[in-house]
Amino acid sequence: MKDETFSPEQSLQLIKSMISKTRQSMSDNSIYFLVWGWLTFFACTGQFVLKHVLLYERHYLVWLVAVVGIVFTHYQGRKEARSAKVRTYIDENMGYLWLGMAICFFVLGLILTKLGWGFSVFPFYIMLYGLGTFVSGYFLRFRPFVIGGILAWVLAVSATFASYDYQMLFGAAAILISYIIPAYILRHRGSRENQ
Amino acid sequence: MDDKHLSEKESLALITQMINKAKDSYHDTGIGAMMWGAVIAICSLVKLSEIQFGYNLPFDIYWLTLLAIIPQIFITIREKKERKVKSYDDRYMDYIWLAFGISIALLIFIVNVIFQNFHPMAVSFRELGGEPGFKLMEYITPLFLLLYGMPTFITGAACRFKPMLWGGLFCWACCIITLFTTFRVDLLLTALSAVMAWFIPGLIMEKEYRLYKKETQMNV
Repeated sequence: MKDETFSPEQSLQLIKSMISKTRQSMSDNSIYFLVWGWLTFFACTGQFVLKHVLLYERHYLVWLVAVVGIVFTHYQGRKEARSAKVRTYIDENMGYLWLGMAICFFVLGLILTKLGWGFSVFPFYIMLYGLGTFVSGYFLRFRPFVIGGILAWVLAVSATFASYDYQMLFGAAAILISYIIPAYILRHRGSRENQ
Repeated sequence: MDDKHLSEKESLALITQMINKAKDSYHDTGIGAMMWGAVIAICSLVKLSEIQFGYNLPFDIYWLTLLAIIPQIFITIREKKERKVKSYDDRYMDYIWLAFGISIALLIFIVNVIFQNFHPMAVSFRELGGEPGFKLMEYITPLFLLLYGMPTFITGAACRFKPMLWGGLFCWACCIITLFTTFRVDLLLTALSAVMAWFIPGLIMEKEYRLYKKETQMNV
């Protein structure tokens, strides 16, 4: 390591660079947000079309698209593990947040399996989407995520008043606003900073 | 600010030290954690005794959770005064617990709206001689335990504070168990989760904080 000297201001700059490094690594990893975001969006709208428009009884089978996401995450994760990057302290905290979120989604899945999937499931999921993106946004100082999180909460409350069929569309809108659009903005900014 | 120039190594060491220091100072008084652990446990146990012994308090015991916000505000203000520098960890925890508070409020709202729609249906179904497939009330506790576990687990993991990490995991384990138990057992498990996730970690935090205070006073 070069024994370069820096002032306290430069030291603070180092902390700032840790945030932007995490943002950059999130921008590099935005592919996960996008793949899962689009898959969920497709599943929500697909289920609506199958159930409400085509009156197909086994409309829930559309959620099997999640298998595509699991396979993709597995392969992409293995590929990235081979080119292991240095994890900053902020990366670690973001990791804990999304690990907590993943456990919550899984446990909520168990609750809803017992409760029945025909029940009002979407407001609960939308509320969790909001929580994850809101905290990520504040932590990364990335406003589109904060706004996306708040809008997801608004959609969670609004979805409660809608019938089950229309709740699917609220789910799709929440994914679009809180995951997909912010992920594209993050990706765009990341590629601009790389140039 | 001392305008001393630091080497890159010294700078990194200083930052690491700051992070570690912030990690220690996060677990300061522990009073808030103890208070919430006690409040949730008391609310659940009182509700359980109401059901068990067939009496009704003149007010809903869960109003106590709203009242507890007042001392929490004072605790937060006092802690902010004591802690002059806000570390990145503090901010991270603030956002997580803020989002948790908002989510709990949303959950109460969503569950109430769903319950309002479900209840009349269940009543008419019962009047017709049928028995609804499930009682919605039985599924409310798991949803709350699911949320209790989240910020507790993340705080425990991010601050390397194992009692909270285990407390969070305990909430999730209870959440799954309550899917298969009656509402009375659910309330008992909620009280136990509040003690394990917040009250006991709060006690440990408070003990550590006293030691830390004692050490700093001796160093002065």
